[in-house]
Amino acid sequence: MKKKLRDFIFQELVFIADPAQFSDDDDLLEAGLDSMGIMRLIMFIENEYGVTLPDTEIEPDNVQSFNALERWILRHQNG
Amino acid sequence: MSIKKEDILEKLNPADSFTLAMDEEIRKDGLAGNYGCFALVLSNIPDIEALQQRITEFSQRFPVAQASLQQIGKRFYWSKRLDPPPLFFQHHCPKGHNEADFQQRTIDRIINHKQARETAAPIEFHLLTGPTQHTFFIRWMHPFGDARGADLILKYLCTADEVQRRQFGLPETGSLVNVRLGKYRWWQKIGLLLKGKRYIDQLDRLESIQPFNSDLTPQRMNYTIQRLSEAQTEQVIKQARQHVGLTGTSLYYIGCLMRALEKMHPDNTGEAYCAPYAFNLRKQRALAPMTGNHVCALFAQAPRDVVQDRQKLFAHLKQQNAQVIRQQMDYAFLPLMWAGSWLSLTEYGKILRQSHGSGKERSSFWFSDVGRLDIPADSFPGAEIKAVFYACQVTTPPALAFLSCIYRNQLTLSYNFNEPVSSPEQIDKLHQLMLAELLGEAE
Repeated sequence: MKKKLRDFIFQELVFIADPAQFSDDDDLLEAGLDSMGIMRLIMFIENEYGVTLPDTEIEPDNVQSFNALERWILRHQNG
Repeated sequence: MSIKKEDILEKLNPADSFTLAMDEEIRKDGLAGNYGCFALVLSNIPDIEALQQRITEFSQRFPVAQASLQQIGKRFYWSKRLDPPPLFFQHHCPKGHNEADFQQRTIDRIINHKQARETAAPIEFHLLTGPTQHTFFIRWMHPFGDARGADLILKYLCTADEVQRRQFGLPETGSLVNVRLGKYRWWQKIGLLLKGKRYIDQLDRLESIQPFNSDLTPQRMNYTIQRLSEAQTEQVIKQARQHVGLTGTSLYYIGCLMRALEKMHPDNTGEAYCAPYAFNLRKQRALAPMTGNHVCALFAQAPRDVVQDRQKLFAHLKQQNAQVIRQQMDYAFLPLMWAGSWLSLTEYGKILRQSHGSGKERSSFWFSDVGRLDIPADSFPGAEIKAVFYACQVTTPPALAFLSCIYRNQLTLSYNFNEPVSSPEQIDKLHQLMLAELLGEAE
């Protein structure tokens, strides 16, 4: 899952000179993921994983790293 | 004038053509043209030699900066010139003059300077100095680039290390609009084109409210800059998060401006506020492309009764935006822009501006949010960057363009308006209403 998320974010949304150096805990918001990017990311996740992510849960804690994103998606996939 | 094939540097991409059509419309109003401006308020006179050297280096690496815009058949191109125009100008406040007045008059002159688009420089850098006030001012002709590009050019000038400067413009991607269009098969493009057209037809069912009801002819563009304190900015961001969440800061500004305009002129005719805005196809923090426009258009529209209810308005704008992205409507305008680039500027301008049904102006105001700028304050050669602001020209109607950015934790609002259609007094009143909306102090 994280590989797909990494590919999407680094190919479409945020430029990182060396993505391999960007860890799954590094801060995506600090790296430049902006409001429009988050919206696109959510649409990508909903299409890709067949989940609906509630608007009320779109907050920094859920989108600020790849690990946080994965936890958020899994919570809804399993629920 | 005929130009040789070998003199062509670049063809305008569909997003460049979009801005060129607006340039034509603004010129038809008798104003300077579709110019964007980016200003840096500096702490002291910078290192002029270093600045000059980097500007020269920039123009050598990106020769479009000194090109001439030329038309061949229906298309427009950036073409080499025999005598490249100067790009760097210095303006010094004469002794005994009022500095603030000098700064304002000089910027006013630069913004409103009229020149044929074939002879005007695509970009100019102006340094305004005096005993205490110093401003570095960039003015670019819109087909040359967008606001994110101007931000990149500034970063280039602020990069001391030559090796790091060489990274700018890489990887060479060409036009991102064309790259995105290239991802679709021809039938998908047609599908998107129809989708985009249907969406615009739907917007056009409601007549747009104009901020200034006036038959006056625009004489000049003027602007008012309002900078919020750090505490106010923090409060605005908190309010935005509360009302539109993490995904819609720009929508919060748009909604607040709709409400401020409605409170200012509740009797203006029309059914809805409609604001076009662009989203950039560049990746965040990317160092390329440096020049050209890499944007696609979106619209925010809200009927008057929705605008009057703050909670309802933000829920509406958020839902509208999510729907647009979910239905891939955001990319649907790319084939429309491509098709439009084959029209004459007059025909294209008409389609871009006029509502299909009523033939009236579709936009209630122009809007652009650059977001948070990450240029280090101490990176400008020899001076500290104290503050920044943007400015731009706009058509009449709507005669109002609103630009925003955050720098050093301060939200900066730029109200660009055409006089005498609007006046500084009206804009001050609008700002007071806007401020109350942004801070969440208005109901």
